Amino acid sequence: MITIEKVSKHYGSFQVLTDCSTRVAKGEVVVVCGPSGSGKSTLIKCVNGLEPFQAGTITVNGVSVGDPKTNLSKLRSHVGMVFQHFELFPHMSITDNLTIAQEKVLGRNKDEARDKGLKLLDRVGLKAHAAKFPGQLSGGQQQRVAIARALAMDPICMLFDEPTSALDPEMINEVLDVMVELAQEGMTMMCVTHEMGFARKVANRVIFMDKGQIVEDDSKDAFFGAPRSERARQFLAKILQH
Amino acid sequence: MSYNWNWGIFGNPVPTGDTTYLGWMLSGLQTTVLLSLSAWVIALALGSLMGVLRTVPHKGLSGIAAAYVEVFRNIPLLVQLFIWYFVLPEVLPFGLGERFKQDLDPVTQQFVSAMVCLGFFTSARVCEQVRSGINALPRGQKNAGLALGFTLPQTYRYVLLPMAFRLVVPPLTSEFLNIFKNSAVCSTIGLLELAAQGRQLVDYTAQPYESFIAVTVLYLIINIVVMLLMRVIETRSRVPGYIGGK
Repeated sequence: MITIEKVSKHYGSFQVLTDCSTRVAKGEVVVVCGPSGSGKSTLIKCVNGLEPFQAGTITVNGVSVGDPKTNLSKLRSHVGMVFQHFELFPHMSITDNLTIAQEKVLGRNKDEARDKGLKLLDRVGLKAHAAKFPGQLSGGQQQRVAIARALAMDPICMLFDEPTSALDPEMINEVLDVMVELAQEGMTMMCVTHEMGFARKVANRVIFMDKGQIVEDDSKDAFFGAPRSERARQFLAKILQH
Repeated sequence: MSYNWNWGIFGNPVPTGDTTYLGWMLSGLQTTVLLSLSAWVIALALGSLMGVLRTVPHKGLSGIAAAYVEVFRNIPLLVQLFIWYFVLPEVLPFGLGERFKQDLDPVTQQFVSAMVCLGFFTSARVCEQVRSGINALPRGQKNAGLALGFTLPQTYRYVLLPMAFRLVVPPLTSEFLNIFKNSAVCSTIGLLELAAQGRQLVDYTAQPYESFIAVTVLYLIINIVVMLLMRVIETRSRVPGYIGGK
């Protein structure tokens, strides 16, 4: 589904990504972790072309992301993305947040888009809030709406960029529950997250990044059982302790 | 000091006899309002376009917009007015300048020059307000729009501009007020707007206090109306749960 091959990126002389290669198969859940500044958010933003990269290739469902001839808007319309800071549109009601891209990008009619949006809103447990505005919801609620908004586009895969790291601790679980459910339904997912509990529960593979490189890319069991690199061992020791 | 107050002069007929001095005042008021409103339409349209261009990820386009702002913001309004009115008609190609001078009556020439001048001058300022509004939005908003499959123009249309304009209603109110005040400069090319009528009244009636008090009050009334209007817009466009919202 997603193939990343020898991708490198630099801002001026600063190397952000070096020779990153990995792949995500259909139905697979891959967790990307690593210390801050390791390039994991940049890597996931390269997948749908939000960040350009200078070398290597990324293909999503057979379409090359870096190819200038690729219609990126079309590609992105079926790659869902969830952001750290939710990024709902504050001037629109929750319903409009869920329907606007369906109508303007996919060309669905108003009723169809509304039905779809409200069904997904119900699924994330927020049906009662359809008429509210994003600013009136809690962080956890906003992030669940953001997930529903991405799902409304019928994505072939979902990208999560630290979806819980801007949330209060007590709201993290409500978001993770939605993500776990999604993973168990067979959605192809690439998640940048520090939630190792989530990784243990649903990830097929774990990628560990450091200084712009993919240091480990292994099955979940191998990664948590016996990480091969010293750097990953240190990282795991630190985040599993607290 | 002995000064003969005479508020009655406004009811007196002017020398040509076709109206009263109050009529002159009101026709000046009308010109000021029409001039400023039409210039504001130009300023808002052009300024928004340039403000958007300043923020697009394209060096050429944002460079053009930046140069535009510097030109229109850094030349005094009075100088710009003289260029539009005295210089431009002389240098326009294809006989356009000749047609401007021959086909339009003098008052229309003055009005058009003043309108375009005020519009362009103010658009450079509106551009900077709109740009600051767009830049004040969280970066992720643009990414969120693009990630949903919106094109860049759609992202501006549906995601960025609706919030950016809400954020800049207060500074835009100032620009809207400024355009009415700056329109007084246009009396220098002979346009009989409110300030010019005030001065004319002094010349004809020798009642400077009454004349300028009337002018002052009329400008104040215009700007109070503008402020009330913009306050309504600000309240109506408030986003629930957002800064300043309910």
